[in-house]
Amino acid sequence: MNSEENWQRVHPASPFVRGWLAIIGLVFIYWRNTEDWSMAERFSGPRLFWTLVSAGAALVVILIFYFFSWYFTRYRLTDTHVYVNSGMLIRSQKQARLDKLQAIDIAQPLGARILGLAELRFDVADGSESVLRLAFLRKAQAQKLREQLLGRMGSPQAEVQPEAVVEEPPPLTARVPAGRLLASIFLQLPILVGLLVTVSLLISYLLGAQGVLAGLIPTALGLGSWVYKEINQGWNFNASAQDAGVRISYGLADTRQHSIPAGRVQAIMITAPLFWRMLGWYRVQVNVMGTKSDEDDNLSVLPVGSFEEVCRLMGILLPDLGVENQREVLRTAVSTGTAHGFTGSPSRAKPLSPGAWKHQGFLATGTTVISRYGWLARQASFVPHRRVQGMGWQQGPWERRRKLAGVRLYCAGGNIMGYLHQIDQETAKEFMQAQSKRLAER
Amino acid sequence: MTAPVPWSPSSFTGADPAYLKVRMIRWAIYSTVFLLISLIPLGLKLFGLGVPSWLLTTPLLALVLALWDLRIMRRQVKALGYLEREADLVVRSGVMWRKQLVIPYGRMQYVEVNSGPLERRYGLCQLTLNTAGSSATAHVYGLPEALGEALRERLVAAGEEQML
Repeated sequence: MNSEENWQRVHPASPFVRGWLAIIGLVFIYWRNTEDWSMAERFSGPRLFWTLVSAGAALVVILIFYFFSWYFTRYRLTDTHVYVNSGMLIRSQKQARLDKLQAIDIAQPLGARILGLAELRFDVADGSESVLRLAFLRKAQAQKLREQLLGRMGSPQAEVQPEAVVEEPPPLTARVPAGRLLASIFLQLPILVGLLVTVSLLISYLLGAQGVLAGLIPTALGLGSWVYKEINQGWNFNASAQDAGVRISYGLADTRQHSIPAGRVQAIMITAPLFWRMLGWYRVQVNVMGTKSDEDDNLSVLPVGSFEEVCRLMGILLPDLGVENQREVLRTAVSTGTAHGFTGSPSRAKPLSPGAWKHQGFLATGTTVISRYGWLARQASFVPHRRVQGMGWQQGPWERRRKLAGVRLYCAGGNIMGYLHQIDQETAKEFMQAQSKRLAER
Repeated sequence: MTAPVPWSPSSFTGADPAYLKVRMIRWAIYSTVFLLISLIPLGLKLFGLGVPSWLLTTPLLALVLALWDLRIMRRQVKALGYLEREADLVVRSGVMWRKQLVIPYGRMQYVEVNSGPLERRYGLCQLTLNTAGSSATAHVYGLPEALGEALRERLVAAGEEQML
């Protein structure tokens, strides 16, 4: 423990991982400015001397900068805090309290992956943008540190021997093969529609309609970036059980890792888009406090997976569903029907939601509210009573005429919520009264 | 108010009648601004610029919307209300689209009391109750200042009690 009380430096190659683009940029500028010289002219006679001298000088300057950047970046771990100091002229001192940490993630940008380095990201509870970054360490060292810190954060399951951590991979809960990922992406209705629009625009452009080019380019770019994002977030996706939670890793160019302790999960949503249902595929997303500092949508803990994988994940993230036959209840939750105590929408809701009314429903168990809604993409959300921040009852004029009402259960950490859509208004009333008692009990 | 709601409307504390005046003054200011903006095409026409004729109907549209807003304002203000219960605060609003929001005291993160210049003139304030979830934010409008302070004190006390 004593050695860790002292300041330590990051890996010496760290500035290079951040700054390799600068070197390439310099070389590129040099090349562009000397384009009219031939190779022989560049590297012969007195010019060779000056080329070498200026290149050497540039290298020395860069190395000095790198050295200082490395020299002044130091970190220190104590029993209560992580400190990271950096900067030569503008010094920055950052710290994070271990007991306020929501998650410790490992990220590997492309350059770092080539060199076998990794960055540690500390997410702090207050949900602000300030993620503390410690970059870069050897990957094994980063993992070891992470284990140690998770242990100090206070989950008793995380007390692991440092040696065992690196060698023995944790039990795999779910992984996504590349073929299934690609198929699942193109089996989503919005992407299919986008693809159809792009192709028809392309065909009409090739047939001579010049004007559509203005529409084609943004459509294709938008679709491309969307598909790329989906691929990137599901590529080489692994979810494994760890530290009383799940650890996920994914990424095409950059490998990202998140750990999600089950205790930090606020709400869970299982989505089954139209075509996926025929194949028995599901997507699982969660609301977590603190982790999502740089992305705007919910965190996927399974981009696409089978019911088996969903069950395994749910068993970790929400071990106590508050019912005895968890598996059957889960099955009902992600499909349709009112078996196992689910309450559906009355048939009066048909004119308001012709497609969805038959599949809408909810079940309040001892620990959780399960609600199912949506038509083409069917969604099931799981909101533990302890995580509900507030409960909203609402009724529009058409719902009132049909004696229907809706209830929403709002959570923190994202936009997943419990949504009891168009249920009988007397049922809604009873639910509100019962649920407000459950919320108060904590 | 015939349709049953989770808690009977009579048990709620409504907004202060003076709040209607605040809303009406605010309505007058906004409506004037919108009317002036909607008159721009007409003005351009008067200066001899070519303006599509359908754009000249905008003042009419603005007027109709403003009058509609005024028509339902009284009922909207009447529909506002809050109810302090043993373990949670219930806030209701809306005439056509009715809403009730329940926030357990234990989930409360902080309570704000605000009053703008118009509200101050009538001795009113607005109380906002924040939780960790951004959608679960309760607003209590049109509270007399003394009542707002007292409510805030009570909410904070109740929250601390529930946190233990």
